[in-house]
Amino acid sequence: MAASLTAPMALADWTQQWLKGLPVVDGRLAAVQQRGREALAELPVPSSRQEDWRFTDLGLLAGLDGTLASSPRDAGLPPGAPGVLRLVLDGRSDPLEGVALPAGLAPLSDSELSQALGHTLAATACEHHWPVELNHAAAQQVLALRVASRSSLSLELVSTQAAGLLPLRVLLVLEEKAELELCQFASARGAGLTSLVLEAHLGRGARLNHGMVALGRNDAALLAHLAIEQEPESSATLATVAAGWGLARFEPRIRQVDGSASTTLRGLQVVDHRQVADTHSHISFSGPEGELDQLHKAVAAGQGRSVFNGAVRVPREAQRTNAAQLSRTLLLSDRARIDTKPELEIVADDVKCAHGATVSCLQTDELFYLQSRGIAADQASALLKRAFCEEVLRDLPGAARQWCRFEHLLASA
Amino acid sequence: MSTAQAVGDLVSQPYKYGFVTDIETEKIAKGLSEDVVRLISSKKQEPAFLLEFRLRAYRQWLQMQEPDWATLGYPPIDYQDIIYYAAPKQQDKKASLDEVDPKLLETFDKLGIPLSEQKRLSNVAVDAVFDSVSIATTYKEKLAEHGVIFCSISEAVKEHPELIQRYLGTVVPINDNYFAALNSAVFSDGSFVFIPKGVECPMELSTYFRINSGDTGQFERTLIVAEEGASVSYLEGCTAPMFDTNQLHAAVVELVTLDDASIKYSTVQNWYAGDENGVGGIYNFVTKRGQCRGDRSKISWTQVETGSAITWKYPSCVLQGAESVGEFYSVALTNHRQQADTGTKMIHVGPRTRSTIVSKGISAGRSANSYRGLVQIGPKAVGAKNYSQCDSMLIGDQAAANTYPYIRSQQPQAAVEHEASTCRISEDQLFYLQSRGIGFEEAVSMMVSGFCRDVFNQLPMEFAAEADKLLALKLEGSVG
Amino acid sequence: MIRPDAPVLLEIKDLHARVEDKAILKGVNLTVRAGEIHAVMGRNGSGKSTLSKVLAGHPAYTVTAGAVSYRGQDLLALDPELRARIGVFLGFQYPVEIPGVSNLEFLRVATNARRAEQGGEELDTFAFEDLVRERLNVVQMDPAFLDRSVNEGFSGGEKKRNEILQMALLEPLVAILDETDSGLDIDALRIVAGGVNQLANADNATVLITHYQRLLDAITPDYVHVMAAGRILRTGGKELALELEERGYDWVDQELAAQAPVPLEVA
Repeated sequence: MAASLTAPMALADWTQQWLKGLPVVDGRLAAVQQRGREALAELPVPSSRQEDWRFTDLGLLAGLDGTLASSPRDAGLPPGAPGVLRLVLDGRSDPLEGVALPAGLAPLSDSELSQALGHTLAATACEHHWPVELNHAAAQQVLALRVASRSSLSLELVSTQAAGLLPLRVLLVLEEKAELELCQFASARGAGLTSLVLEAHLGRGARLNHGMVALGRNDAALLAHLAIEQEPESSATLATVAAGWGLARFEPRIRQVDGSASTTLRGLQVVDHRQVADTHSHISFSGPEGELDQLHKAVAAGQGRSVFNGAVRVPREAQRTNAAQLSRTLLLSDRARIDTKPELEIVADDVKCAHGATVSCLQTDELFYLQSRGIAADQASALLKRAFCEEVLRDLPGAARQWCRFEHLLASA
Repeated sequence: MSTAQAVGDLVSQPYKYGFVTDIETEKIAKGLSEDVVRLISSKKQEPAFLLEFRLRAYRQWLQMQEPDWATLGYPPIDYQDIIYYAAPKQQDKKASLDEVDPKLLETFDKLGIPLSEQKRLSNVAVDAVFDSVSIATTYKEKLAEHGVIFCSISEAVKEHPELIQRYLGTVVPINDNYFAALNSAVFSDGSFVFIPKGVECPMELSTYFRINSGDTGQFERTLIVAEEGASVSYLEGCTAPMFDTNQLHAAVVELVTLDDASIKYSTVQNWYAGDENGVGGIYNFVTKRGQCRGDRSKISWTQVETGSAITWKYPSCVLQGAESVGEFYSVALTNHRQQADTGTKMIHVGPRTRSTIVSKGISAGRSANSYRGLVQIGPKAVGAKNYSQCDSMLIGDQAAANTYPYIRSQQPQAAVEHEASTCRISEDQLFYLQSRGIGFEEAVSMMVSGFCRDVFNQLPMEFAAEADKLLALKLEGSVG
Repeated sequence: MIRPDAPVLLEIKDLHARVEDKAILKGVNLTVRAGEIHAVMGRNGSGKSTLSKVLAGHPAYTVTAGAVSYRGQDLLALDPELRARIGVFLGFQYPVEIPGVSNLEFLRVATNARRAEQGGEELDTFAFEDLVRERLNVVQMDPAFLDRSVNEGFSGGEKKRNEILQMALLEPLVAILDETDSGLDIDALRIVAGGVNQLANADNATVLITHYQRLLDAITPDYVHVMAAGRILRTGGKELALELEERGYDWVDQELAAQAPVPLEVA
């Protein structure tokens, strides 16, 4: 009891430290930085007393150096496929500097930026979340791109966090029937925090296929908000795979502004040692005939902790919504813990909403079956774990699939 | 009229138990204080340990905050505007039913629970509680022959103080939650059941709760203990008159099973729900918990919740004994502006413990019906298994169905599985039944009761019909 | 069997109906006497299924003109359940699944509702079980289906057999069977058709809605009607069905086109 009362004070101290260590408010994000810093000075750091943070301890952050990281520009990835633009996000320099954008892709002007930035965060009701305000306070650059109507593009975003703070801000506007395949790779090479806020606005009939592979280390944290607004007939697929982070928190926030859109969410988080991975997804349907297909998977080993909270809101105007959510967890160690909570709120009678959750270890009969065919026990269990993860991995787009070999996953876990 | 509208109208039938019995009642003054707690205890001539228990609870309660986390909205309750003790004026409990005020017997007759020797239900023993006191318990002698104790908790305090002292407050500690603390301080009456070692209770036991006074809170306390190898099936029923004010009902139920014992606890709750605008009705804030202390013991909760303006209730099982079993079967029907937040907690502590949850929520009108459940697998619960199924049926587009199934696990050698779905009564299904000559009302009623079938099957035979009747009653009325 | 003096059971006059804003029936005329078997044929969208739904009183269809009398009574004024109770039966093309509602219970409630209308006594559970077991033979159905939920998880053939079982229990005077043959393999078709033949007698009538000849090989119709664009275009004997089988439906289009002012749009 006493510990939990003193902890927030200690955390508050480090946020003050971090704020002091940030460069002066400046650049095209000056107003945002100002706002974030003011908010952070007021906002208590989330603690277990808040329902949304009940199981996710931010203690790891307290020990970090909060100054901006000097991130290396080479992530050690194989070269991209021809015709695919790869942008490096180092948190300091303009990622578009010296880059020739392909046809159909254009940076947002300052006036467009001031209109669009934060719009989707507000629409998905997360603009005041602590991790978002932290990003506001610290972000030096924003990658703001428009995908022109009817064009079809592939883009890679790569970031490597060294010791310290790596704030990343991305804003994407997909015009009517624009298509974007976006592969994102986030890794850590030092004790630090990657703070990502990505907003995407999908116009009518637009398609976004976002795949994110995030491979961390025990002394690194990742806080990611992925906020998507979808106009009718648009389709968004978000597949995130995270492993190895001391602390990783994903908050996909989707709003189908007028229904009739399709959303696919795939998540895989792997925890080992004393790692914590947390996904809080939030999907709201503000119109009829929306579709959701969500699969969240977690593998918890060692003393790892996996948290999943999946909110689905189907208000009265969202008739004929068809939503399915499934959460599956593999609990591999008796010191690991999992907490999962779907949250369905439905006020419409003509809807299909199903959800399910399972928690188990590897099935002994499946293991036995493999062993009875001559496969060694550890090999058999590796096979089954791979099969478990594969269901999410196969939905990663293009290059992201290459970045995320199963061996990587378990090695970093 | 659209089908949805017609179905909506159908589930909006008047409450049948809304009458008030005109009877002289002894009430204490409104309000709650340490003196009131002492007064209740002295009126009931309680031993010192119980007064001490009440006072500790009261002091705890003063320091606690009313919970606000459930998806419920209601104006603040003025705890000083409630009467904490009301009893029909009659001297001590009567030795024979002939001496009980005929008006009371008539009341229970009217509620379908005849108490008199000639009319009472065969094979079901009934404890009838009117406002704050138990007025009669049937078949006591027959039960005593088997060593079964079934009486009001006030009586048990006098006649079996050692049992009360040993078990009261051991499953639901006085500081468990705000309403449990309040109950522990001011509980009036309720039932006590004790099934000794090796005894299978020869008949169904049942308590019938009736709130009659308009400004009285009801705080009953029920304690059921099944010793090694014992078993019992118990049912509670509840009704209240229609008042345009809200009455608070904050009960506590504690169940204990030792090795190989089993308790089946069924509830048919039909408190007054308020009118279509949400005026009046009972606030039903209840703490129910069972502890499977013994190996291979079993506790099974079945509930049919149709009444109350607000329900806040999570009958739970703490599965301590190895291979113990917990079950929760629930039907909750809400209409108009009713709010129900109900579910269960299955706390798996011991190895190879198993639990099953089947919840069926039906939301109509502008009501809100939430399932909130927790399945927790502790580090020692090797081989534990849980299966949960939560289904919602929505009637009309203004009712809310919420599902919050928490799962927490720390044990890899355990399996937890949860499934949930939503459905509605489709026009095509209705037409199909109608085209075979089945009337609209009956068709709806068949589908609702089909939706609830898995739960009704769990009710004791004697009461399954009652539950079906109750739903049918809620669904009865003219069409279109 | 055609007997000109047999009583008229069903008389449809100039029936018009729409679903939502779409007019589908545009003047159907049909007279059905006791003892007769009628086949209504036509392409998809010709209005056959709509006709059956309208006769059974499906709430999604609105009658905009015309009349239907059943044994002299205004059928259209009755709720669907009353139509069933007085002896009008619709065999569904796609029988709906109703989870949780026991098939046996459903059959019993329906049978008793029909019996009550006829002044018969209510059958208790035991008496009804005897009856249903006897009627199961009509469609050679496994009694295990009685313990399941209505149509839930039934195969297409099992659903259709369940429809005919209901018909056997309700003993309608007019049975309208909507595409009863669709989705049936040859054995199931034989069993279902056999059931229909067994149930047909001099006092009742059957209206088969189908677009294939193969059902009519098993059940011989007295009349064949060809529907197009919401009306009955031609009526003949069983040879008309064979003609359709041989020539296809193209000639229907030509005939339709020749007939002003009926528009060519097919609903």
